[in-house]
Amino acid sequence: MRKFLAVVKREYIQRVRTKFFIVATVLGPLFLAGFTILPAVMFGIRSGGPTRLAILDESGKMYERVAKELTSGKKPSDEDAAQTLEQTSSGNNNAKEKIDQANKLSRTSYLVEDVPLKGRSVADSRTDLEKRIQTHELDGYIVLPANLLKDGQAEFRLRNAADVFTVSSVAAAISRAVRGERLAEARIDEKLVDEASEPIKLRTTGAGGQESKGEASFYLAFGAGLLIYMSVLLYGQFVLGAVIEEKETRIAEILFSSMRAFPLMMGKLIGVSLVALTQLGIWGLAFLIFSVWAAVGSSIPLPQIPAMLFVYFVIYFLMGYFVYATVYAVVGSMVTTTQEGGQMALPVVLMLVAGFLLSRNIIRSPNSSLAFWTSMFPFFAPITMLMRIVTETPPLWQILLSLGIGVATIIGLVWVASRIYRVGMLMYGKKATIPEVWRWVRQS
Amino acid sequence: MEDTKPTLILDHVSKSFGDFVAVSDLSLQVRAGRVFGLIGPNGAGKTTTIRMIVNITAPDSGRVELFGQTMRTAMQDRIGYLPEERGLYKKMKIGEQLRFFAELKDLRGAEAEKRIDIWLKKLDLFSWKEKRTKELSKGMQQKVQFITAVIHDPDLVILDEPFSGLDPVNVELISDTILEQKAAGKTIILSTHQMEIAEKLCDDVCMINRSHKVLDGKLREIRRSFSRNAVALQFQGEDGLLNDPTLVASIRQHGDDTEVLLVPGASPQELLRRLVEANVAVTKFELVEPRLHDIFIEKVREVA
Repeated sequence: MRKFLAVVKREYIQRVRTKFFIVATVLGPLFLAGFTILPAVMFGIRSGGPTRLAILDESGKMYERVAKELTSGKKPSDEDAAQTLEQTSSGNNNAKEKIDQANKLSRTSYLVEDVPLKGRSVADSRTDLEKRIQTHELDGYIVLPANLLKDGQAEFRLRNAADVFTVSSVAAAISRAVRGERLAEARIDEKLVDEASEPIKLRTTGAGGQESKGEASFYLAFGAGLLIYMSVLLYGQFVLGAVIEEKETRIAEILFSSMRAFPLMMGKLIGVSLVALTQLGIWGLAFLIFSVWAAVGSSIPLPQIPAMLFVYFVIYFLMGYFVYATVYAVVGSMVTTTQEGGQMALPVVLMLVAGFLLSRNIIRSPNSSLAFWTSMFPFFAPITMLMRIVTETPPLWQILLSLGIGVATIIGLVWVASRIYRVGMLMYGKKATIPEVWRWVRQS
Repeated sequence: MEDTKPTLILDHVSKSFGDFVAVSDLSLQVRAGRVFGLIGPNGAGKTTTIRMIVNITAPDSGRVELFGQTMRTAMQDRIGYLPEERGLYKKMKIGEQLRFFAELKDLRGAEAEKRIDIWLKKLDLFSWKEKRTKELSKGMQQKVQFITAVIHDPDLVILDEPFSGLDPVNVELISDTILEQKAAGKTIILSTHQMEIAEKLCDDVCMINRSHKVLDGKLREIRRSFSRNAVALQFQGEDGLLNDPTLVASIRQHGDDTEVLLVPGASPQELLRRLVEANVAVTKFELVEPRLHDIFIEKVREVA
């Protein structure tokens, strides 16, 4: 037991005090935040100022609406709609060279300019506009045909046609403008249509009549699966490396002359896993503090999740993590390099993905025999059993049974790993084939 | 030597891996306070034998008895083992590693700390205690590995090729340390291919070839039994005396020495008398004890 603890201690301390661990622990959440927040911010901010667009309006009545849609950059509010109606009724105001200021709303990033035909042909105007695009006076132009409201095809010329964000936002703006104009022509109040399209509010209750554990709980179950998946991918390599380490450094024989293989393997697994849990714990705590702080600051209510569910979350996360981590230990005992090991472990990790795919069926019928058996299978249970607990909590004996099977699987796999490890070492550290491994496990 | 009970007894021990027979019906006894040489060519079964002694693997048949008891895991703490396949944790400091290996032998705390310092000083490594393995030369690493085998003051020390990679000064240092351990009443099993060192250090020798024991006993007796009636000579002036086929079987030049192998039955005294009579100026006349090296090669060839 003391030797087992010595192994745990060594594995833990050696890893936790590395610069890599400290840097990863600090930077991890920052990167995560970066990856979620940055893209949103980056799509929001366009570099190089607003996109300058000219509109060539052959219909002679669409410019105002399209310009408004573009510069407001959102679904027109009731007020806007009313205003637009008013403006349309007051007739077109083409003579005025009007440039909408893009910064009326923080999100808008278009500078729109009307190009009156003034009796010139469309082709002539186009040539002018093309020239202005060449000289970087303009970024693009829109041609609205006279029959746009019926079946006409609008045309959008953009210097950088690959800019899908601009293309789609322009397309949406024209669509909204056309819809508004069509409604106005049909004498239908646009405001009424918007109100009628408002989505309903739904309150869900469970079988007992009490408010359902709801979405937040569902996401908790899903989150557990995701967390297992991520931590297995992150730390599985650590376990693999720890098991292979003594093969590469040729220390294995010294260790085996001092202790049995099982406590050695178990010590490695626990030691490395404690590193993983330390890191996850720090991240989890940081996240918790952040969300409480954010909730207090913004008065958004924290999701209501029963405390017991958190307990199940932690238990099944641990079980899931260890089941998959031991797979890495088994693989590590068979191979000689981490690269090989990563490839060999991948198919097993994909089982976790299968667990995700099953969750759809489980949520729909949490008491089916499929749900029962998949929640007993240790490689699926962390996800499927949690799903069942969230949707329609199964009897306690089923939960305990699935946990029992999980623990037995973990111990069994560690035993197999230690066996392969020891025999593999006796075979002068050569790489093992699957049939050989099977023989080693049975004999010696 | 029969008065003390042997530290280690292998009793008709066999071990196979699949179809491959690694050790076949091996019996031997190792006594306390002696250096026991386990020699043999590569792949003879030495390492497997040692692994059975340190309880890494169990024999298929036969019995390993240590300190008068059948081998158990708990007895591993009384053995110090320096395997041929050995290494250190690359990123750990030397002091930490020794602490870890000591803990694996159930030695910890202040006592462990004290012995780590004593050994590091003894092997001129003390200033390296806080350095990481990768900063050490290969020879230094070898010495650190040696310490891991003796740090817990084991009663049985098993050293597999302890001198590989060491310069002559360090070979001397480790040799002296081994002899100190012997003087302290420890039992030492030494496996090596360096026959000159084995010759110097070993009291008893067991030679294994192709999984079988081919030789076993006190080194001195083994050498005597292999005596080939040879004489090493240095002399000036000779008149064909050495070509007498009734006396000399063969002549071989060995450095400055002329090694004369006498015909069976002829005595070295007879050769000396004839040389003196012939007025040859003899500057060296020495009965040649066969070297372990030669015995080794002879035995290996015999089987092949």
